[in-house]
Amino acid sequence: MKYLRTISLYSVMTVFGLFALLPFVWLVSTSFKGAEELFSFPPVLWPKKFVLQNYTGVWNAVPFLAYTLNSIIIAAASVVLNVTLASLAGFALARYRFKGRNLIFLFVLATMMAPKEVTIIPLYTTILKMHLADTLIGVVLPFAVEGFAIFLMRQAFLAIPKEIEEAAVLDGVSPLRLWWSVMLPMTTPAIATLTIFTFIGAWGDFLWPLVVLKSPEHYTLQVGLSYMIGTFVDNYRYVAAGAVLAVIPVIVVFAAMQKHFERGVFSGANK
Amino acid sequence: MQTMNRYVPYIFLAPAIGLLLFFVAVPMGQICYYSFLHYSFFHEHVFAGFDNYRRLFSDSNFWWTLLNSFVYVLVTPVLMALSLLLALTVRRALRGATVFRLVYFIPVVTPIVIVGIIWRWMFAEETGIVNYIFSLVSLPSVKWLSQYPTNIISIMILTVWRGIGYYMMMFLAGLAVIPKEIEEAGRIDGANAYQHTAHILLPMLRPTLTLVFVISSTAAIKMFTELYIMIPGAPIANKTLVALLYRQAFERFDLGYGSAVGMVLFAATLAFSYVNVRLMERAS
Repeated sequence: MKYLRTISLYSVMTVFGLFALLPFVWLVSTSFKGAEELFSFPPVLWPKKFVLQNYTGVWNAVPFLAYTLNSIIIAAASVVLNVTLASLAGFALARYRFKGRNLIFLFVLATMMAPKEVTIIPLYTTILKMHLADTLIGVVLPFAVEGFAIFLMRQAFLAIPKEIEEAAVLDGVSPLRLWWSVMLPMTTPAIATLTIFTFIGAWGDFLWPLVVLKSPEHYTLQVGLSYMIGTFVDNYRYVAAGAVLAVIPVIVVFAAMQKHFERGVFSGANK
Repeated sequence: MQTMNRYVPYIFLAPAIGLLLFFVAVPMGQICYYSFLHYSFFHEHVFAGFDNYRRLFSDSNFWWTLLNSFVYVLVTPVLMALSLLLALTVRRALRGATVFRLVYFIPVVTPIVIVGIIWRWMFAEETGIVNYIFSLVSLPSVKWLSQYPTNIISIMILTVWRGIGYYMMMFLAGLAVIPKEIEEAGRIDGANAYQHTAHILLPMLRPTLTLVFVISSTAAIKMFTELYIMIPGAPIANKTLVALLYRQAFERFDLGYGSAVGMVLFAATLAFSYVNVRLMERAS
């Protein structure tokens, strides 16, 4: 009886696991296929001959190096800005009593109700007026801090015991040092969660970079891949190789920080 | 020192709140304003009254995209059932469960463009693996992407595939906070697995169910990238509100009309969250 239960539990998990992985097997195998196996029917799940040429070719076919660097710059800048600005704001909201605090916090919560998709039109006209269209700054700036990030950091600062802060204040520490040297190190789990969420969000973001970026050398990996799939209809081995290269960083970052990601989901974070 | 300290919180808050005001609050006002203008990148804008809305409501494409946006919400119950089933399974099995959790999460973190590309190939009519599997069990070949509403179902399958791991994790979080005593009480009373799940776990999971329902269905309403990648050539009537907004504003440069679509989209997401929460409250 016990055996039967264990077997049924593991078979459910295995079925879901295969369902999750099969598309990736298909992607990776396509990226190693030669021209003759690409469109063969029945489809080849495991190429007879592994071809590395797609991985070298994609760098020459499109400015793939530029795509990669742009994605790295955008993701890194988004992470640094969100963590810095949100932890400053979250610290103030959690640790100070001042006039308008509740109103400001309500405002932060309200911004979480405004979908990105709704505001892209005015955001784009604003970016145009600031002469930031077709620039990486234009992609990063409007989302340099998000309501969710402030909320997450506020919760983290709320959880720190009062005594620690009081001891530091008695020592005559300035507010900036109190934030940076005393309080911030105690919120590292929240910072890790925010980092991984912001990184994965910025790395995978599509609609806003698609609207802002016009010249191919400014594309991110996602915009570049979508451009490639429209152009290389007959040769999607390059697209497959490019997609594999573009997905590796997220899987690495995720596998390394899985625990923090799960905590983010637990706290109701959503992108 | 004391008087300086009074300004500290405001100084700490200024950059973040300034950005949120400038890039969230002001644009929300602007889109409302734009929706009452004749506005394109090339012309001076002029006041239009309700013209954009009048055009919108008489545009059959608008009603189709609105309908499609809501049809995508139908994926939510399927997604919830499967991810709940998986959560209930994963929390029982101890050995190796972490590895499985990692596997279920890979689709969640994979960029949506890449997910769309993979599934577009898998659903390809002539060369795709899905039709090949169909042919193995002698089912007819299906036009997964080129026919409406089959293409909606294809994209729903993608949504389920990508979402299971995420919602499973939320259910696991919800299950983790159920007090041990309540679970054990059920077991002592001799409840079987089904009774235990239906009468003890599910009622306790209600807050999580509400949260998952709201997140999953508002995400479905805002669907865009999947369509842009998987069915770029399909008529706009097969797509969603966000696709209509993108086309009007960024391909036809009709910002006033696009903004009117944006206002409807905003109203739909708000109303949907509200109704969802209300329904789940009433059910309890």
